[in-house]
Amino acid sequence: MPVYVKGVGMTKFGVHSKTSQELCYEAALEAIQDAEISLENINAIVISRGDSTVDGERQRLFPSVISSILQKENIPITQVTAACSGGGAALWDAVHSGYGNVLVIGVEKLTQIPTKIVTDDLMIASERIYEQTEGLNFPAQNALVAQQYMMKYNATSDDLALVALKNHDNAFLNPKARFFGKKVTLDMIKKSQMVASPLRLFDCSISVDGAAAAIISKDKSDIEIIGSSLYADRLPAFESKDMTSWEATKLAAAEAYKQAGIMAKDVNFAELHDAFTSVELMAYEDLGFIEKGKGRELIKKGVTKINGKLPVNASGGLKAKGHPVSATGVSQIYELVNQMRKRAEKRQINNTKIGLAHNVGGAGSTATVHILKNIGG
Amino acid sequence: MIIRWVSEDGKRKWIYPVERDIYTKGRIIKQVSTKAKVIGITKVNIPSPLHPIVPYYVMLLEDEYGNRMPKKTMREHKIGGTYELKAAATDGAVIITKIKYDIEEYLKESIKLVHAYELKPADKILIKPSIIEAAYAYQAVNTNPKVIDALINYLREKGIEDIAVGEQAMLGNDVTDAANKAGILDVCKKHDVPFIDLSKAEYAEKTADGFSFRIAKDAIDRKVINVPAMKTNSQIGISGAMENMIRVTDERTQKRMFEEDIEKTLPKLIKELPKFLTVGDATIGLHAQGPTSMGEPAFLNMLFVSKDPAALDSVFVEAGLFKMPQYLKEAAAIGLGNTDTKSIEIIGDDLEAIKQHLKCPEKDATSHPHIKLIDGKADPYIFNSALKMTAKLVGLLGYEMRLAIGLHFSEEDLAGKNRLVAYGKDAIKRTRELGAKTAAEIPEDIDDMEKIALLKSVLESEEKSRITIADKLKSKFAGFGSKIKTRF
Repeated sequence: MPVYVKGVGMTKFGVHSKTSQELCYEAALEAIQDAEISLENINAIVISRGDSTVDGERQRLFPSVISSILQKENIPITQVTAACSGGGAALWDAVHSGYGNVLVIGVEKLTQIPTKIVTDDLMIASERIYEQTEGLNFPAQNALVAQQYMMKYNATSDDLALVALKNHDNAFLNPKARFFGKKVTLDMIKKSQMVASPLRLFDCSISVDGAAAAIISKDKSDIEIIGSSLYADRLPAFESKDMTSWEATKLAAAEAYKQAGIMAKDVNFAELHDAFTSVELMAYEDLGFIEKGKGRELIKKGVTKINGKLPVNASGGLKAKGHPVSATGVSQIYELVNQMRKRAEKRQINNTKIGLAHNVGGAGSTATVHILKNIGG
Repeated sequence: MIIRWVSEDGKRKWIYPVERDIYTKGRIIKQVSTKAKVIGITKVNIPSPLHPIVPYYVMLLEDEYGNRMPKKTMREHKIGGTYELKAAATDGAVIITKIKYDIEEYLKESIKLVHAYELKPADKILIKPSIIEAAYAYQAVNTNPKVIDALINYLREKGIEDIAVGEQAMLGNDVTDAANKAGILDVCKKHDVPFIDLSKAEYAEKTADGFSFRIAKDAIDRKVINVPAMKTNSQIGISGAMENMIRVTDERTQKRMFEEDIEKTLPKLIKELPKFLTVGDATIGLHAQGPTSMGEPAFLNMLFVSKDPAALDSVFVEAGLFKMPQYLKEAAAIGLGNTDTKSIEIIGDDLEAIKQHLKCPEKDATSHPHIKLIDGKADPYIFNSALKMTAKLVGLLGYEMRLAIGLHFSEEDLAGKNRLVAYGKDAIKRTRELGAKTAAEIPEDIDDMEKIALLKSVLESEEKSRITIADKLKSKFAGFGSKIKTRF
């Protein structure tokens, strides 16, 4: 049975004094208005939230908090905690739930705690004994992956810098992005502090607060979800046969393309999981946009720029729009829908017939791929 | 060391210890390698609570089977180089091992890395764990039974038959109860290894520097493997390789060691004991208000192994970023082992790489927020029973008061401290010597209920500067009531 996106909503990504439930309310309100639907007609809600113990909110059983703030009692409300892939996983749950109208909300609060505590908290999504105790926080984990990739395919830090530059240029134009209106130059990127070699500060996404929402419905709308796939792989990246290629992404993409009856080349634009610039390059390849090891050609030739043949991360991506962990996957859908409905203003992409969202948890351990088709005309 | 659990048909590999192949129900074969190639390395510049010191490096290692593992280090390694641990070259070396799920394999490897340590089938072994109070293994107060189990397996592998586990609990506690709850009695039963209550052992007298120790003969006649639970100790800083050996002496010796000044007598005892190996169990580890269950599990997943107990304790102190305890300074003063971590040979994980801020114990804390200790190095019985008394009063509203214990406190320690209660003969003697005004004196040899009733009467009344006859009578009744209850 076909499933559609009726409406989307999103808070600005950045530093918020609002609580998680208030952010959810703001995003949900926008989505409800956008969908032109009454909240009374929502049959189920899926929440994505990390349930951090250090975010200052100290709140578990968040579905019931959502029940309180939305005053939606006695309907199924479930929560997904899948680290950075939480938003995509929540969306996947909603699409496959069988309910008529499902509200999906992703939310995270990360800015009110010191960076070192956030680093530690996010590291909990890596393997406890093999990775956490060996200091393998996410930048370090992705640095080792990036290094393997660079050694194998002769990619350089300059290639990575171009990814950062493109996404910052896009975020500059996105009013809801953390880096909206903030100019970042190639020089700034290349000279930024080394976080975990070879990854510099501007190779890493930025942690922000924020929420995003989407209404998934069986009632026809202008945007159909023609592919929805989730694959989970082993947690540590070092366990992969080939660390430079993420099997979960490849499998999720293959299945989503099959559901959609399309091939990678049919995708017109995409929101990819650029938690690190190296991940965007690898995703080009794992999603089939280009053959393995040649991802850098897409960035060098400007193919993935807003005005390129295959615009990627027109929103600014996790890199510069911001990465509120559990909200990220839903925010990608927000961007796809706004692009398809021609509401993206200065960063509007021309051809928005088919859009793809790619969301990853861990260093490739869980991946979701959603393909949206603009059937509205 | 890289370990994988591999299915019999070689089709599947696990990073976790599994007993059967869930697909074929077939056997699992362990793949262990101690040598690996460095295939990647990153220099990390962002700190986190678990890894506060930056920069550090994380290597990506790959063994001959293609199995990989990340490894933190403070040294730069070259991609393409070999990573392999070499056995220690000195007797004073400390082996630091981070365990990856398989305690037994890592314990064996750690002992192999000790310099010139030989185990022969004819050896008579005494395993000396920490079993101080009745607490479950996860509370990390006592030695992890899995470590004892692994050690016995290793000794059996070496052909050693004569193995005993020996310990006595913290004075005032029952060791059989404690060993039972800790899961160590079950391990002994599993291996048919006797458990010796060292409080009932035969003792031999040894005198060192004018102090006479009565030491369990088992700790002298047998080759001792000391397996302390590595933890904080609010009295002396940490409980580790050295503190754990106090309990090979009889009760009287222990009390005298504290009376005389435990920080000085402990190094003397260790010097007097035959040489022993220590396997410091930090598989969980305890921090904050150790050494009892007032502390918190630290989830360290490590072993510290050494023939030099002073070196081992010094390394643990630095790893937890604690202050150097006085007893280690005293050890250095009498030439016991090496306490200078800069000159200690470290094998395994880098000391800098494992450093993290563990919670220091507060010297004056009790379970009750309004009762603070003034600890004059009281013996374990007084210390333990003082903590137990205050724990019984948790939940009662009260007014700040001080509970003085032991002999070694000064006038300055008591200055400005009102509502003072002296507990135990030593503290009573000392407060009288100093002419300190006490609200109550509680002897150690009265009934526990009577002690608690006396303490409660001071705690609950803001004005009370001295307990009254009525309070004393009430406490006597409480004690009498508890005796009647016990009898009937």
